Amino acid sequence: MRTLITRVNPLVLLSVGAFSLIGSFAVRSLPVAAVTIGLYALAALIFLPTWRYPLACLAFSGFAAVTIVYSTWRLGGQNTEVAAVAGLRILVLAWPGSVMVGFIDPGRLSDYAAQTLRLPARGVAAFSAALQRFSGFAQTWESLERTRRARGVAPGRHPVGQVKHSGSMAFALLVQAMRGASSSSIAMDARGFADARGRTWAEPATWSRMDLAGLALAAALGAVPIVCFFAI
Amino acid sequence: MRSGAISFRGFTWRPVGRKNPTIAGLDLHIEPGERVLLVGPSGSGKSTILHAAAGALGTTISGEATGDVSVDGRLGLVLQNPADAIVAERIGRDVAFGPENLGLPRDEIWRRVDAALAAVRLDYPRDHLTSALSGGEQQRLVLAGVLATEPDVVLLDEPTSMLDAVAAERARDAVLAAVGDRTLVVVEHRFEPWLDHVDRVVALDPGGVVGFDGSVAEFLASGGRPRLWMPGAPPPTPIEIPAEFVSPAVVPEAVDASDVVLTTRMIRGTRRHRALSGFTARLAPGTTTAITGPSGAGKSTALLAMTGLVRVSGGTVTPDRTRMRSRELAREVGWVPQNPELGFLTTSVREEVERTASVLGVEVEADELLALVGLERFAPSHPYRLSGGEQRRLAMISALAHRPGFVALDEPTVGQDRDTWAVVTGWYTAAARAGAVVALATHDPDAPRDVEIAVGEAVTAT
Repeated sequence: MRTLITRVNPLVLLSVGAFSLIGSFAVRSLPVAAVTIGLYALAALIFLPTWRYPLACLAFSGFAAVTIVYSTWRLGGQNTEVAAVAGLRILVLAWPGSVMVGFIDPGRLSDYAAQTLRLPARGVAAFSAALQRFSGFAQTWESLERTRRARGVAPGRHPVGQVKHSGSMAFALLVQAMRGASSSSIAMDARGFADARGRTWAEPATWSRMDLAGLALAAALGAVPIVCFFAI
Repeated sequence: MRSGAISFRGFTWRPVGRKNPTIAGLDLHIEPGERVLLVGPSGSGKSTILHAAAGALGTTISGEATGDVSVDGRLGLVLQNPADAIVAERIGRDVAFGPENLGLPRDEIWRRVDAALAAVRLDYPRDHLTSALSGGEQQRLVLAGVLATEPDVVLLDEPTSMLDAVAAERARDAVLAAVGDRTLVVVEHRFEPWLDHVDRVVALDPGGVVGFDGSVAEFLASGGRPRLWMPGAPPPTPIEIPAEFVSPAVVPEAVDASDVVLTTRMIRGTRRHRALSGFTARLAPGTTTAITGPSGAGKSTALLAMTGLVRVSGGTVTPDRTRMRSRELAREVGWVPQNPELGFLTTSVREEVERTASVLGVEVEADELLALVGLERFAPSHPYRLSGGEQRRLAMISALAHRPGFVALDEPTVGQDRDTWAVVTGWYTAAARAGAVVALATHDPDAPRDVEIAVGEAVTAT
């Protein structure tokens, strides 16, 4: 059950985020917000192979939510409930999608984007290659961190040093990304990408029963706040 | 007429930020089906010529190009850094990228993918992760990706430089079998094994000028050019580096690794990859230890584990430096990474050499160090402007200028000509003589060593 997520097609995974985004607009009261988040969390426990990763994503979208809560509270007449709902709405909007993105295989996504959604082939292929580079960034980041540590310039526990260090690492990563991208584009063009016409796809974009069930579940989860909105 | 000709007429190239052209007035014509070996000392412009043929100069790479370059037919190019050429998460799809671009039907795509993977002897299933491949395996994967497009011209930039002798021979056989009667241009420092298989040798002299152009027999009869790895010549004697540049500024401490296991894990938590299993070694002060083994066996990982720059998943490394603060670790350990670009911290070659030392409060004579490794004229340049071999030398002295007690080098001799090889090997042997603990991950059988530790067979994903 917990590895199903790696077997459904990437459009289904994306649809989870899309439906939660649509549903989030209907989150208007605290109970609805709590039920929706609860259902997504339950789905995460049932279907995801790890709970650490969704929790990390929750922390990130939680940070966005907290800032929204605070500004709504300050500007919206210091009404705690309105502020809390606004914050939870952001969680419904961002969290499911951000978790799903981590499980998407860029190659499979491009198959479906080109064959199911009929997006332009060259654009899709370039996007997928770029995403592939993106997953390499984690490794590059680790290597950068390692060399910095070995060179005596990694920060200690001091927060200011940490922030400065992250800035310099991010810049180094950007530089690496740009340099890698030019080598990458040379290599891609040398494999016929420069003048690709009528590009084909090595794998078909199929929709299995499991995919359809996944899509239905994604739609159902997204529909929870909408149904509540109209029912209550 | 057969396609596959390459022709340079009065080609000159001056990259952005350099005063003088790196290639000056190159005239070179390669016939369809010709197999050419392109050689030259480190920094002579070999890679630049391949980039020019691929049409990347003046477009993707900025600078000023004059003269003519033309390539007749489809071109396949394997670059020095294979990781940049990988476009997919799984090896099958990566190789399929070229055939997909050509608009081939699905069965033909997979026929070519399987044939190309078999040709380079990458014996993994199609859905093996590209991120789990070692540097050498990545190089073979990229080669497979190029072969799958069935190009008229194949350009290879140091295709076997990261491979051990066995893997290199396999890769070479794979190239030669797959290339057939297509045009082939191969750049390599250790070129001896290619000589039996090429028709022509072009040797560049520093400054991108053709110093020799003729048949293999003529090339051998001429005695070659200076600094090249001519066949039969014994490896050069490591140069004497004065002890003052290498003798440890801290008291060197032996490193013990016992039954070290290292697994890496994908963020999604669904897959694990075992990078090293059951590695045991003892590195003693005053001794140079070479960590050897087939490509993909975990040489680099073993070296990293010894330095304390990665946490091990099982077993122990003493002293345990994983919790040490960066400065303390740097004082004791100098690590020279395999990919030098990842290590650069500053915007000039001189600052790069001074950086770690100044953080630690150790005095270094940057200009003298640069002169020792033949980089003095680049002192004000940006590190990225250097060639691959030059960057490796810079990364080495930048990591070691402050004279750490434990010197760890990852494939330090790759991409070096005879002269620069003697500098690199001279550096670490001198450090060992001065009492440092020296360890290198290497597949270069000539790199001097006192002790050798072989890491086992390539370990696979579990």
